[in-house]
Amino acid sequence: MPVINFLLDSEKIEFTCDSGTNLMEAVVEAGIELKAVCGGAGSCGKCQVIVKEGEVNQLAQGSLSPDKLKQGYVLACQTEVIEDVRIEIPPESRLSEHQIFVAEEAEDEELLTEKEIQIAEKIELDPLYKRVDLELDEPTLVNNASDLDRLYTGLNQRHDWPGLTTSLSVMEDLASHLRDNNWQTQVSLALANDNYEVSELNAPDYEQPDYGIAVDIGTTTMVLELINLETGESVATSGLYNKQGRYGDDVIGRINYAKQNDDGLDKLHQAVIDTINELIDDVVNKESIDYADIKTAVFAGNTTMSHLFLGIDPNNIRLEPYIPTVNFIPPLQAEELGIKIKEEGWIHYLPGVSSFVGGDITSGVLATEIGKREEITLFIDIGTNGELVLGNQDWLITCSCSAGPAFEGGGIEYGMRAMSGAIEFFEIDEDTYEIKYSTINARPPIGVCGSGLIKLIATLNEVGIINRSGKFESDFEHERLREREYETEFVLVWEEQAGIDEDIVITENDIKNLLRSKGAIYAGIRMMLQNMSLTEDFIEEVLVAGGFGNYINIDDAKKIGLLPDLPNDKFKFVGNTSLKGAKMSLLSKEKFDQVNEIANKMTYLELSAEDQSQEFMDEFVSAQFIPHTDLSLFPSVTETNSDD
Amino acid sequence: MAVEIAKQNWDGQVEELTIGATEEEGGTRTSTVTVGGETTLPFLHFEGEIPNKPVVALEILDEEPKDWPEPLAEVWGDVWDDPAKWAKKCVEEYGAELIALRLTSADPIGQDRSAEEIAETVEEVLDAVGVPLIILGCGDEEKDNEILKAAAEAAEGENLLIGFAEEENHSTIAAACMVHDHNVIAQSPVDMNICKQLNILLTDMKVKTNQIVIDPLVSSLGYGMEYSYSVMERIRLGALRDDDMLAMPMINFIGEEAWDVKETQASEEEKPGWGELSTRGIQWETAMGTTVLQGGADILVARHPESKENIEAGIEELMTESSYE
Ligand code: FES
Repeated sequence: MPVINFLLDSEKIEFTCDSGTNLMEAVVEAGIELKAVCGGAGSCGKCQVIVKEGEVNQLAQGSLSPDKLKQGYVLACQTEVIEDVRIEIPPESRLSEHQIFVAEEAEDEELLTEKEIQIAEKIELDPLYKRVDLELDEPTLVNNASDLDRLYTGLNQRHDWPGLTTSLSVMEDLASHLRDNNWQTQVSLALANDNYEVSELNAPDYEQPDYGIAVDIGTTTMVLELINLETGESVATSGLYNKQGRYGDDVIGRINYAKQNDDGLDKLHQAVIDTINELIDDVVNKESIDYADIKTAVFAGNTTMSHLFLGIDPNNIRLEPYIPTVNFIPPLQAEELGIKIKEEGWIHYLPGVSSFVGGDITSGVLATEIGKREEITLFIDIGTNGELVLGNQDWLITCSCSAGPAFEGGGIEYGMRAMSGAIEFFEIDEDTYEIKYSTINARPPIGVCGSGLIKLIATLNEVGIINRSGKFESDFEHERLREREYETEFVLVWEEQAGIDEDIVITENDIKNLLRSKGAIYAGIRMMLQNMSLTEDFIEEVLVAGGFGNYINIDDAKKIGLLPDLPNDKFKFVGNTSLKGAKMSLLSKEKFDQVNEIANKMTYLELSAEDQSQEFMDEFVSAQFIPHTDLSLFPSVTETNSDD
Repeated sequence: MAVEIAKQNWDGQVEELTIGATEEEGGTRTSTVTVGGETTLPFLHFEGEIPNKPVVALEILDEEPKDWPEPLAEVWGDVWDDPAKWAKKCVEEYGAELIALRLTSADPIGQDRSAEEIAETVEEVLDAVGVPLIILGCGDEEKDNEILKAAAEAAEGENLLIGFAEEENHSTIAAACMVHDHNVIAQSPVDMNICKQLNILLTDMKVKTNQIVIDPLVSSLGYGMEYSYSVMERIRLGALRDDDMLAMPMINFIGEEAWDVKETQASEEEKPGWGELSTRGIQWETAMGTTVLQGGADILVARHPESKENIEAGIEELMTESSYE
């Protein structure tokens, strides 16, 4: 198998691949970010690299100058590796965050890239499962307490542990363990209900680390982090599509499936447990540890997910007056749920607020610390349920605006999640309507992800292809705009350049769906503000969570009216805060308690309640426009064309 | 004890709009109609200006109506096979200041008359009377785009009011109105937000705000009129609060709605408890007209001359000064 030696400015990366491998793919797999504006179609000429040594198979040379060809320049996307080679990656071909903008010089601040929340720095390590070293007094005729009492006394001398309990397996071995180890022991304590349980005893020299897992149970995707409980470090991460997907795309579909099929609930329950176990298999294999080394787990997910996770009928969630069976879920043992960690290990599921605001959101509030700030913060989860939180240390209000999955690619013909091959940036020439785009990992485009869709709608409107209601302008004529059975569509990428055997298009219906989604989110924001008698100006910071892509362009999000028209520096993109909050709770009892307080404190605004629904509908209709029916709400994006 | 009169000071004003153009203005009309310009809620003269009184237009078709009930046939039956004669009767016998000509004969599932034929009809009616016209299509989107364009062209310079531009279908007709200098009716389905969106779309196309009339789509009395009424109120409040995109005069097609329900059509044998058919419909139409006036209507389009007379009598009274000096 050929070996590629990549030469970057200061680094060298060695990479082995199959003979015939596309060089662009090898570059990407080696973790090098290369420019690829045309997504590997061979037309943009941006993916130039230099072959220093060895022969390659060139499929095309594009517009490379004779001079460059002489120096060994090739287009990575048009080159196959057949033998050992040395490849230099010139700096101008490398993609740094900002270079993703092909033509305009991007202003840093209009770009919203994910901000990593530094968890380890923020919390004092006090995990839900921990070890205490003890040296106990040997019993005598005078000091004749039982072994267990002796153990408790030893523990309580170190710290006050109200309501200590002990598992049967520990009691069985207790006497011999203490005596064999000369009254020295490592006691493992696990948070059970509100108390700790002595769950394991180990020899004083036992060194195998304890692990815990934090899991985000998303409706569409699930992510698991394996965490070393002593150091707080994340040692492995794994993600998978939620296997429930085959029973319905969104929560309502799955609730219906559970209702309409005899074994529907069982299947849904099993699917989520299977997904979790597969994720566990993955990290256990990666790190070569035992399942029993994972001592505890914290899960975060929406309310429907929690019910299905527990195997509880979720049906009332969707029936008026929308009452979940549980918001606060007592800890359960892994074995009861069939989760493949230590059998008696305790499983915690973060508490929810209502049927449509669940543990994933309380977890997000914990991770982002909205409830600790003085300033008013708006938290937006741009996902299917469209949960929103507004508030500060004094109050928190939340609602779910059912945005639909459009920004996650659902309901959009060529929409997709932010994965390899997803277009995340567009540029349309105002005169020729020539389109430039870039894709995640520079793969040939196969669809458009959330950030691409935002940019696309903004651009289509800006260059006059669609009007403010999202309809194609009737006097716009171009070969890219065409009719197909009851649908008007606009070709974004011709088949020849696409990574699929079809043209990639956006239809009028897609645009309508996107406007509906963004309208729902903005309407939800307005409803919360109105209920608190506040205006946008009171919002100090906007935290955006959701699986968009590598970045969101804030100006575009404002242009289409998805985000309120506030100064760019007020926005932060916070990524998967559900997972982050779960990890924090796993590593800190204090945080774990806080999330319960948060859930108790959050006021749920029911948008379908009688006194809200009419107003919400009104807000919703007025927000289904670019950017909004009330242009005065978006002064910075509308002022330019008010007087031309 | 002295009572202080509470007055609301509004920032906004409804646009003033004129329909029709006289010879000096480049048209052939002998009179014109101006509406709008209010700086206050309907008829609250004490806190603002109402420079123009609301107008009641009479509606005519360009073919014999198929399902107009008896009381309408009685008045118009002798002329309704000829739009020019019909228009003349409206003006000469019933003093109409404004006529709404509905071009139903263009309907593809009816007579399907061509754009040229329609243009001729419009010219005939313009020749027959001197009052300004409102021109309305047949309701078929595609066909209306064709015939309204032709009508706008044929009536170039007359500064007519042409409808309808809708959110889904507005650009052809708005463009025709702009090119040939007419005003346009922007129709939205009982929804203030869509009304506003349509006005933004029209102004984005560079239609002037003082060339648009809002049709909020009124439903018949007893069939949802209260929804239309509250939408009208909200539109007017928006205008007075200085929202440009709501600051247009409003038009209501009360005749079309009033005469389309069982209450104005059922015979006395069928519904003995409802009283005489000959007066029932007129009352129904009158009641609708006087109600929407309170919601801010500027132009009412009626079908029966007696309703027109009743409503006008009401307007006369409402237009008397009511300031507390
Ligand atoms: S030419 Fe290779 S990515 Fe564009």
